[in-house]
Amino acid sequence: MSDEITWDKTVSDVNDGILAPTGKPHPMYYGALGLSLVCLLIGIVAWSLQIIYGMGLSGLNSPVYWGTYITNFVFWVGIGHAGTLISAILFLFRAKWRNSVNRSAEAMTVFAVITAGMFPLIHVGRVWVAAYWMVPLPNTNQLWVNFRSPLIWDVFAISTYLTVSLLFWYMGLVPDIASMRDRVRGFKRLVFGFMSFGWTGTLRQWHHYEAGYGFLAALATPLVLSVHSIVSWDFAMSVQPGWHTTIFPPYFVAGAILSGCAMVYTLVLPFRTMFRLEGFIRKEHLEALIKLTLLTSTIVFYAYGIEFFVAWYSGNEYEWAIFQKRATGPYAFYFWVMVSCNCFFPLAFWSSKIRNNQVACFIICVLINVGMWFERYNIIISSLVEDFVPGSWGHYEPSLTELAITIGSFGWFFTWLLIFCRFFPFVSMSELKLIMPKPLRSSGVKRQGTGG
Amino acid sequence: MKKQQPGIVAIFRYLDDICHVTESIRDSRDFRGHEIVSFTSYHELMHLAEERHGPSQVRWFTLVGALSGVFTGFAMPLWMDYDWPIVVGGKTAGIYSVPAYFVFGFELMVLFGALATIMGMLVMGRLPNPKARIYDKRTTDDRFAVFVPGVSVESEQARLLKEKGAEEVYSTT
Repeated sequence: MSDEITWDKTVSDVNDGILAPTGKPHPMYYGALGLSLVCLLIGIVAWSLQIIYGMGLSGLNSPVYWGTYITNFVFWVGIGHAGTLISAILFLFRAKWRNSVNRSAEAMTVFAVITAGMFPLIHVGRVWVAAYWMVPLPNTNQLWVNFRSPLIWDVFAISTYLTVSLLFWYMGLVPDIASMRDRVRGFKRLVFGFMSFGWTGTLRQWHHYEAGYGFLAALATPLVLSVHSIVSWDFAMSVQPGWHTTIFPPYFVAGAILSGCAMVYTLVLPFRTMFRLEGFIRKEHLEALIKLTLLTSTIVFYAYGIEFFVAWYSGNEYEWAIFQKRATGPYAFYFWVMVSCNCFFPLAFWSSKIRNNQVACFIICVLINVGMWFERYNIIISSLVEDFVPGSWGHYEPSLTELAITIGSFGWFFTWLLIFCRFFPFVSMSELKLIMPKPLRSSGVKRQGTGG
Repeated sequence: MKKQQPGIVAIFRYLDDICHVTESIRDSRDFRGHEIVSFTSYHELMHLAEERHGPSQVRWFTLVGALSGVFTGFAMPLWMDYDWPIVVGGKTAGIYSVPAYFVFGFELMVLFGALATIMGMLVMGRLPNPKARIYDKRTTDDRFAVFVPGVSVESEQARLLKEKGAEEVYSTT
């Protein structure tokens, strides 16, 4: 993609254009916040009931002990992947378009990983002792955790990912918070001054900031790839048919990035309208995001195909039986929703007309998110309901409590995101200025210019 | 409260002007202690910053943090497995599952490396600084600035900065 974009704004328009609407968002904002709070309330009530009455309220029972909660956990961790991909990997590749969407993707990552982190707590039932189970503390017999278990690997991976994502996000915010500090007075100024660490933008500060940002990106890049690989090992390290396969790490990473990119688009498009950011998040940037979504969709499509091929080619009859049942058995509906949403619908993105039709892209991206949720549901449930022993086979459907908590997780995620956007810039102002036409005496600061 | 040093602030609008000024006053004794302020990290300015401050020392923070992470990531499970071995399949205690420890080594390398990098950025950038001097509010918006301590607007330095394209030069206390 060409990095050249014709801008009708200059660097002088950035602070006013991005900060002014945060104080007075579009009415749509309040509608979205209200809806999110209702969803959150549903989730809180359902979880409270589950804590009071116990795990019997969930649909979890033999043989399916990993159900909707673990599906949600994997889904939300996956959503979180686009943030660091856009912040770190695209930064190292010098893809300039990422500067207009990186803040939204990073915020999305932080809130998605926090949401994901809640699901193991919800899943274990007795949440008040869950924290104790998840850190390497000796138990009552003075026995340490089992470091050979992928579950403890996951705790380390997710905690590291959340911490590094938070650091990345906050460091990016520091120069922007300093800009906010310089626009206000009184108590607000004190708060923003404290939050920006007293940033002044001297050459020395920028010099070390840029170096540190690069190192953070270099550290975060393998982290993106490792986190969902480790999540995939929660499954692949077992001997369960349908899970025990070496393709899982790259397959999970590609799926995570697909769902993350689709979610960034799903968020950026309405938020761009709510905060009147059309002049800064340009259609070319949105198109680049769609191209990335298309790329990851084709990788996922390939992974689905090769997974089937290997199940057949391995000659393992248990493995092959699971895959046949996935496509034709009682859970076939979920399987075909997954394939349609993740493989077939995104094929429309090959058309430049569709890529530039924002409504069509929005609908397809929402469908991809639906498809990615069903992918995790399909992987987890279909392998667990029918294991090696036919006598223990069963059936699983999520209970109302599980569905309500799932709805609540969306409410939780969107509530935090909407609150964040109300008070902080949704676009990284200091980084956006880097891809806009430079204020040069030779070319003047003009309304029309080209930049990344 | 510590009194801030008086001096002059010159405001620039154009990137090429500020780059030119940065280069020309870098080693000048008349501009000793000056600060260049920018609203973003333009590559041209970062190049000049590297010339002035040398390669950023943040890299050593990252290296030390990452290495200590690797060490901790292997040492922690090794010690815990030594402290109370979990004997699986009758395997002798004292045989450690080193391949599994790579996960902890890697994750803690990233975690400690990232934390140390942030610390490096703060320490080297002299942050947090609650008494930071805000040279001009426009420098976090769309203007560059040069602060020269200990001189007045009638000085030779102020005249030179105006000549180099400063939109405005004023004294600050």
